Amino acid sequence: MLELLANAIVAILHWKYMVPLMAGTFAGVIGGSLPGVTITMTVIVILPFTYGLDPLAGLAAMTGVYVGGSTGGLITCCLLGIPGSPASIATTFDGFPMARNGEPGRAIWLGVWASVWGGLLGALCLVFLTGPLAAIALEFGPWEYFSLFVLAMAMVAGLTEASLVKGLMSTAIGLFVTVVGTDPIASVPRFTFGSEFIGGGFPFLPVLIGIFAFAQIMTDIERMRDPNRAGLSVGRVQFERFSHLKVNWEIIRQPFLLAWATIVGLIIGILPAIGGSASSVMAYDQAKKFSKTPDKFGKGHPEGIIASEASNNANVSGSLMTIMAFGIPGDAVTAVMLGAMTIHGIQSGPLFISQNPSLSYGIYAAYILAHPLMLLICIAFMPLMLRVTSVRLSVLAPIVLVLCVIGAYALNNTMQSVYVLLMFGVFGYVLVKAGFPLAPLILGLILGDQIELNLIRSIMTDSNLWLFVTRPISGGLLAAAALSIALAIWQHLRHQKRLTGEEDADF
Amino acid sequence: MRLGRDGIAGLIGLAVSLLLLPHALGLPKLPIVPVGPGFYPTIVLVFMALTSGLLLLQDIRAQRQPAAAPVADATPAVPRAYGLVAAAFAAVAIYIALLPLIGFRIATVLFVTAFQVILELPRTLRAWLQMAAIAVGTSAVTYVVFNNYLLVLLPRGVWTGW
Repeated sequence: MLELLANAIVAILHWKYMVPLMAGTFAGVIGGSLPGVTITMTVIVILPFTYGLDPLAGLAAMTGVYVGGSTGGLITCCLLGIPGSPASIATTFDGFPMARNGEPGRAIWLGVWASVWGGLLGALCLVFLTGPLAAIALEFGPWEYFSLFVLAMAMVAGLTEASLVKGLMSTAIGLFVTVVGTDPIASVPRFTFGSEFIGGGFPFLPVLIGIFAFAQIMTDIERMRDPNRAGLSVGRVQFERFSHLKVNWEIIRQPFLLAWATIVGLIIGILPAIGGSASSVMAYDQAKKFSKTPDKFGKGHPEGIIASEASNNANVSGSLMTIMAFGIPGDAVTAVMLGAMTIHGIQSGPLFISQNPSLSYGIYAAYILAHPLMLLICIAFMPLMLRVTSVRLSVLAPIVLVLCVIGAYALNNTMQSVYVLLMFGVFGYVLVKAGFPLAPLILGLILGDQIELNLIRSIMTDSNLWLFVTRPISGGLLAAAALSIALAIWQHLRHQKRLTGEEDADF
Repeated sequence: MRLGRDGIAGLIGLAVSLLLLPHALGLPKLPIVPVGPGFYPTIVLVFMALTSGLLLLQDIRAQRQPAAAPVADATPAVPRAYGLVAAAFAAVAIYIALLPLIGFRIATVLFVTAFQVILELPRTLRAWLQMAAIAVGTSAVTYVVFNNYLLVLLPRGVWTGW
C-alpha cells in the first residue's frame, strides 16, 4: 500500500498533474476566500477545464479546489466576520474577535496551519481506512445498497434546517428528475411525452450546475442593495508581527483538541451530504465542551479556530472516503467529482480502488500534496487574496455564469445541455425562494438511478420484499434511516417555532 | 381559505404528482422483468404526493393559528432586488438564445457587458473602459483556453460565421 502511495506521489509530482493540482488549489483558496462563492461553486467553475484533461489530472484539480476552498474561507472569517465559505462558519466565532483584538495575522495563520494539520491527519485515515471500508461495501448486495441510499437520503432530509417535510419533498423532486427519460432496464421512455429534448433524460451535471450556481448567484444579486454588505473590503489590512513556529506550537501542544476535531470532521465527512459547515460547528462545539477555558470561546480563543479549521479540512478526507468506498458523494463538491468521473467512464464504488489503483492512489497523493501546496499559496499570495476579496459581484457573476454555460455546453458540445442548465437554474432559484433545501434534491438526483437499479436487481434476484428488512445489514440500515427521520421529527417538535420572513438559502 | 408560500408549493407538488401518476401506472409491463418501468416512478410519485400533501396540511394548520404579535425591536428586513434578479435571468436567457446565432465570442462580449451594466451602471469613462476590457478579456481568454487548449468547440454563429 505504502509503495503504491509513494509511486502515486511521484506520479503526481509530474507537471502534467502538478499544474492542475496547483491551479485547482489556488482557485480553491481564492474561491473560498470570496464571500458568496462556495467551494461547490468553485469546483463547478473549474469543471469545464477538466473535461479535456487526463482523469487523474482533472480529479487532482478538483481535490485541490476542495482542500484550498476549505481553508480559503477563513480569510474573510477572520478579517470581516463573514465566512468566505460555509465550511469556515465556526472560524468566525473566534477568528474575527482575535483579528479585532489586533492579531489578524495570528488568527489567519492559526487557521491555515490547523487546516494543514487536520487535513494531513485526515489523509492518514483516507489512505488506511478507505480500503477496509470498500471491503465492507463489497459484501453488500442490492438490498444493502438500496437501504444505504435510503439512509443517506433520510439523513440529509432530516438534517435540513428549514423543515423535515420540505427536505423530504426536495428529495422526491430530485428522485423524480432521474426517472425522466428512458428506463434503465428496457429503455422504455418515461415522462418524455414524445419530446426529443428530454428523450434521453436530464444530464446530471447541467442540472447540478444550474441549480447550485444560479440559485447562489441570483440570491447574491438579490441582496446587492443590502447596505450591510456594501463597502466590505479587507484589501488594506496590516498584519502584526508573528512567528509561524509559535503558531504551530500553539496547535501541536494541544494534540487532543487537534485529534478530536479531526475525528469529528472525518466522521461528518463520511456521513453522506452533511458537509463542512456542520463539521466546523460540531468540532467547535466539542472543543468548547472539552476545554478548560470554555468562557474564552467567542472572544478570540485559539482553540476555537484550531477546532473549526482542523475539522473542515479533515471533513474533505471523509467525503473522499465515502465517494471512493461506497460511490456516494459526501457533499455537493464530491457530487460534482462523481459527475466528472462518470464523464470519463469511471464507476465509483467498492471496486473503484481495486479496479483503478493508480487513480485512487493518485487521489490520495493529490489530497496529501494539496496541503503543502495550499500552505505555499497562502504564504506567497496572501496580499493578492486580500485584494481579491474586494472583487465586485457585478464583475464576478457574469464571468462565473459564462463558465457555467461552457461547463454545460462542453459536456457533449451541444446547446441542449445549456438549455437544461437555464431551465434548472430558474427552477433552483424558485425552490430556494420557496424555502426548499437543495442538498436533499442533489442527493436524490445523484442516487436516483442507483436506487432504482438496486431495487430492480434485488426484486429480480428474489421477489420477497421482506429481504430488505430481514437481511441484517439492510435491515440495520433501514432501521437507522427510520431512526434518523424519527430523531429529526423529535428535534423539529422540540424546537418548533414559527418562522417569520424569509429564511436564508440552504445550499 | 388562504394559503401561504408552503401551502402553494405543496399544492403544486401534489397536483404535479397526481397528474403524472396515471402516466407511471400506464407504462407497459415487460415479461422478462417482474416489475415494469412504471414501478419505481410510481413509488417516487406517491412519495412526492405524500410529502406535498403533508406540506399543504402543515400550512393550512399554520394559517388557521392566530398570527403572533409583531416584535417591536425586530431587525429591519434586508432590501431584496428582485428586479435585478429578473433582469439577470433575462440576460442569461438572451445570451443562451444568441450563442448559436452570433457565436460564443460576440455573444459573450455582449453578455458580460450587459450583465455588468445591469448590476452596476458605470459612472465614469474609466469605469466604462474597465467594463469593456473585462467583457472582451473574458470572451478572449475563455475562447483561447477552451478552443485551443482544451479542445472544446465553442459555438459559432450561424448569422456571423464567427
